[in-house]
Amino acid sequence: MKGDLTVLGIESTAHTFSAAVVSQKRGLLCDIRDIYTPPEGSGIHPTEASVHHAAVAGRVVGDAVTQSGVSWVEIDGIAYAMGPGLGPCLRVGAVTARTLASSLGKPLIPVNHAVGHIELGCMLTGAVSPLVLLISGGHTMVVSYSSGMWRILGETLDLTLGQLLDQLGRYVGYASPCGRRIEEAASGSRRYLRLPYTVKGNDVSFSGILTAAKRLIDSGEPFEDVCFSVQETAFATAVEVTERALAFTGNKELMVVGGVAANKRLAEMLGVMVARHSARFFVVPLRYSGDCGAQIAWTGLLAQRSGVSIPVEKGTVRQSWRLDTVELPWRMTK
Amino acid sequence: MRLFYRGAEADIFLGDWAGSPAVFKFRKPLPYRLPELDEEIRGQRTVHEASIIGDARSAGLRVPYLYYVSPRESLIVMQRIEGPRLKSYLQSASENRGVSEEFGRTVGVLHRSGIMHGDLTTSNVIVADGGVHLIDFGLATHSLKVEDHAVDLRLIKETLVGAHSRVSSAVMASFLAGYASVVGEKRVKEVVRKLAEIERRGRYARVE
Repeated sequence: MKGDLTVLGIESTAHTFSAAVVSQKRGLLCDIRDIYTPPEGSGIHPTEASVHHAAVAGRVVGDAVTQSGVSWVEIDGIAYAMGPGLGPCLRVGAVTARTLASSLGKPLIPVNHAVGHIELGCMLTGAVSPLVLLISGGHTMVVSYSSGMWRILGETLDLTLGQLLDQLGRYVGYASPCGRRIEEAASGSRRYLRLPYTVKGNDVSFSGILTAAKRLIDSGEPFEDVCFSVQETAFATAVEVTERALAFTGNKELMVVGGVAANKRLAEMLGVMVARHSARFFVVPLRYSGDCGAQIAWTGLLAQRSGVSIPVEKGTVRQSWRLDTVELPWRMTK
Repeated sequence: MRLFYRGAEADIFLGDWAGSPAVFKFRKPLPYRLPELDEEIRGQRTVHEASIIGDARSAGLRVPYLYYVSPRESLIVMQRIEGPRLKSYLQSASENRGVSEEFGRTVGVLHRSGIMHGDLTTSNVIVADGGVHLIDFGLATHSLKVEDHAVDLRLIKETLVGAHSRVSSAVMASFLAGYASVVGEKRVKEVVRKLAEIERRGRYARVE
């Protein structure tokens, strides 16, 4: 062996098709993305997203390898997001990865998308074993590492935070993802409209907020005020359960990852909360908070280094692959 | 009076109230929350907690006596129960079956009385005087719904797996035995079935 390890990672769980190359010694070499955008007022249609992914897959992977500066021969493993995510989208990534692995004769490495968010976050921020708030269109959960796995300490009982923002945005005609436009609208208001504040133990629920917010819009309340109130209420419940988990575990590190981590108001609230516990707060850099190939490539590298790989015929997809069932051999030695 | 514990939503101070050892639970303003929302939630939770502690005592459960309640100050003064939290008890005790069963019976009585605790982590249970005491009813509600009782059990399970993964299955089994002895086998089945359903409902629950 040459003493380095270079892995190509492919992400295709939802709207983003992305490929990235990482090297153990030189870190992230490139991260190329092409994002499917649904028409205004719609969410992701899984089949249409997969058609988009299939159309761009060859170019994105090719660009990634070209930009990384390494040759195909130098790539040691092909990692892909096995799940969780939308079936048709996942399959495009899996087919691409299987094709590359078998034609180049490289090991195939399955990666859990959520683990990918966390491991890339740790790599980029320097967090070691943080309490993690994972918030995106697919997840809203607070997780903590214990005895070989990420354990879920709290999560949403219904919608994810990303879904809440997307469904609110779509209600007034935006296309998913709507988080940024909701944040912009909210920044123009300071008028709070009371919404259901639901914390059940360590879990949160957002469906009541969505219903009430739609009613407020229907009754003619300004959209800015509704967005402001939704953010204040929903984020406060998420921060509250995160604070509970921080107090319960006594962890001195908190990291926030996932698409909604890009929201500045949420980061501000979390920062204020964390300061009270004299813990360190890590926010994944904006460019890598959302879905990307880097999270798959980096986690694939960690996995391959620990001896994880699967034969090509086992390279299927797992749409509902829960984070708390994933084994993490690379964390076991710590 | 000294600060005993800085919790997520309240600070706990230890002191005396009319000569008895007391706990002062003060719901502090949470600076990340919008002030108008924050005040309302703190006042509501103070009143709620006090009234439910009273109800739990009427049901015969071991809970702190209330000495003083002030919603405006977000303050509850109550009896101080001396003993280890179940969290540290489970981490140190070599044998936990008796306590786990008693914990199950206690939650059984609570549920049969129509109360959902809402925050049943192992930090909110004190082992003392040969029994199990419940504290922190800040998120409790009145409910006889299978769903709500299942949510309580789910948090217990989540906490056990998250913080006591080595003993979690043994503790859970003893807990359920104690719980069943109060609410009956039929009800336990319903609650456990609902618990599984809630876990599936979580995003990306396992369906394979």
